[in-house]
Amino acid sequence: MTALPTAVPTRPAPLPAPTSGPFTGAVAAEWTKLWSVRSTWWTLLAAVLTMAATAGQLAIYAVNANTDDDPAVNPGILPVGEVVAGALELTQYVVLAIGLFAITSEYATGTIRTTLRCTPSRARVLAAKAVVVGAVTFLTGLLVGAVGVAVARPVLGEWGRAPLGGTVGDVAASAAYLALVGVLALGLAAALRGAVLTLTVLFALLMIVPLSLQEPGIHVLTRIADAFPGVAGNHFLAGDTEPYPAVVGLLVLAGWAVAALALGRWALRRRDA
Amino acid sequence: MITLRGLTKRFGAATAVDDLTVEIGPGQVTGFLGPNGAGKSTTMRMVLGLDRPTAGQALVNGRPYRELRYPLHEVGALLDATGVHPARSGHAHLRAMARSNGIPARRVDEVLDLVGLDARAAAKPGRALSLGMGQRLGIAGALLGDPPVLLLDEPVNGLDPDGVRWIRRFTRGLADEGRTVLISSHLMSEMQQTADRVVVLGRGRLVADAPLAELIATRPASSVRVRGPEPAGLAALGARLAAEGAAVSPDEGGLAVTGVTAGRVGDLAYELGVRLHELTPVAASLEEAFLELTAGSVEYAAGPTGGETR
Repeated sequence: MTALPTAVPTRPAPLPAPTSGPFTGAVAAEWTKLWSVRSTWWTLLAAVLTMAATAGQLAIYAVNANTDDDPAVNPGILPVGEVVAGALELTQYVVLAIGLFAITSEYATGTIRTTLRCTPSRARVLAAKAVVVGAVTFLTGLLVGAVGVAVARPVLGEWGRAPLGGTVGDVAASAAYLALVGVLALGLAAALRGAVLTLTVLFALLMIVPLSLQEPGIHVLTRIADAFPGVAGNHFLAGDTEPYPAVVGLLVLAGWAVAALALGRWALRRRDA
Repeated sequence: MITLRGLTKRFGAATAVDDLTVEIGPGQVTGFLGPNGAGKSTTMRMVLGLDRPTAGQALVNGRPYRELRYPLHEVGALLDATGVHPARSGHAHLRAMARSNGIPARRVDEVLDLVGLDARAAAKPGRALSLGMGQRLGIAGALLGDPPVLLLDEPVNGLDPDGVRWIRRFTRGLADEGRTVLISSHLMSEMQQTADRVVVLGRGRLVADAPLAELIATRPASSVRVRGPEPAGLAALGARLAAEGAAVSPDEGGLAVTGVTAGRVGDLAYELGVRLHELTPVAASLEEAFLELTAGSVEYAAGPTGGETR
C-alpha cells in the first residue's frame, strides 16, 4: 500500500490561459470534427453528383418539352437558375445530411459525451454546430449551384439562357436555401437524436405533408402548405410574388430553422447525454 | 475537490443514486467502489454535467460543471466508453478537444507522449484502436487541460497486466502532484493497491467513506488459523485462548482465532505442550471488507437499478 503524501507536491507549470472565447473554441472544434471524418467528403461528392445528374435530367426534360409537337406544353426559353432550383428538390436531401449527421453521429457513437464535456453549455454547442453547418452547407450550395449551371446550360442549348447577374443570384439563393435547410436538419436532429427518425420528419416537413395539402387544390389547405419550409423555400427560389413576396419565403424558412434550433436546445438541456 | 451534496438520480421508479453526500479531496487517490449497478457511473456523469441530478448538487471546485467555461482546464475524465468517433483518428479527436478549450495544439503531442501513444497509433481511426490504446487515448484526453481534478471510470477494465500496472503508477503520480483523483472500480483488489481512501456505494447509497487502512482495520477480522494433529490439545488451547478473551471458532479441522496475535497463540501452544502443524495470520482484505459492507445491497443488485449499462 502507498503512503499518503506528506508535503504538498509541486505541480508542473500551468498551461497558458485560453486566449480565444469558449464559443470560438467550440466552433473550431466542430470544424475540426467535421473535416476529420471521411464521410463529410463523400457527402460533398454525392451532393455534386446528384446535382449534376438531376440538373442534366431536368434540362433534357425542358428541351424535350420545347420540341414537343403540342405547343401547349412548351415551357419556352428557361433561365438556367430555374433548372438548378428544381434540381435542389432532390439534392437538398444529400446536403442536409451534413446538418443531420453533425449531431446524430455523435449520439450514435457516444462522442456527444466528449463534446458536452468540452463545451458544457448546450446552447453554445448547438450554436457552434449551427455556424459550422450553416457555413459549410452554404459553400456547398455555391459549389453544387455552379455545377448545376455548368451541366444544365450546355444541355439546354437554344432553350436556355444564363444572364450573368441573374444566374449568380440564383446560385446564391440556392446556397442560402441549402444553408437554412441544413440548420433546420441540425436543430431537428438535436431534438430527435436518431438519423432515421429525423430524416423521416424532414421528408414529411419538406415534401410529403405540403404535397398532400396542395393535392386537393383547396385554397385554405394550399395556404397552409405555403407555411411549410420547403414550399416557402421554393417561393423564395422562384422569386414569386404570390402568395407572398420571395423575401417572405426566405424569412419563413429561416423561422423554421430558428424554431428547430430552439427545440434542439431545449431537448439538449433537458435530457441526459 | 469534488463535492456531492444530497446527490440523487432517479430513472423512473428506480433510484440509481440516493442522497449521496461526500467530499473528494486533493492529493490522494480516492477509490470509488461498489458492485455493478451501484450508481458509480451515474454519479460520475452527474459530476460531469452529462446527467441531470433529480435532486442535490454535484460541484467541481465549488461550481456545477455546466457553468464551467473551459472545463478541460478544471476536470479531466475517462468514461467507460472513450468517446472516440470510429472514423476519426485519435489525434484529430484530441485536436478537436484541445481547440474547444483554447489549448495549444502542441499539448496534444505532449499528452500522447505522456500516455505512451506514438504517432502511428494516434493516426489510427477510433475503430482500429485496441481496448488498451483506447484507454490510453481517453487518459490523454483527460490530461489535455492539465486539470487539478481527474475522474476515471473503470480505467483498468480490459487492460492487460502491463496496462494495469501502468495505470496504477500513473494515477499515483497524478495524486502525488496534488491532484484530486477519483477512480471507480468494482474490483476491490485493484483499489487495495491503488487507493488511499475509498468511497463505497451500495445500491446508490453511501456505504463507507474512509481511509483504506481504516476500512480494513475496522473489519474485526484479522484472524489466526491454527491446525494440529491433536483434537484434544487444540480444544485445550481453544479454551485457554477463550479465557484470554479471544474469539475462537472451529475451522476445517482446526481453529480460527481472532483478538490475539499469532505469536501469542504459539506461546500458549508451547506452554500447553500442544503440537501445531499450522499457525497462519490471515489479514482481512479489502475484498472481504467490501463484501461485508455491501452485503445488504448486493442481493438487490439484480433489480432494475439502471444507469450502469450505458
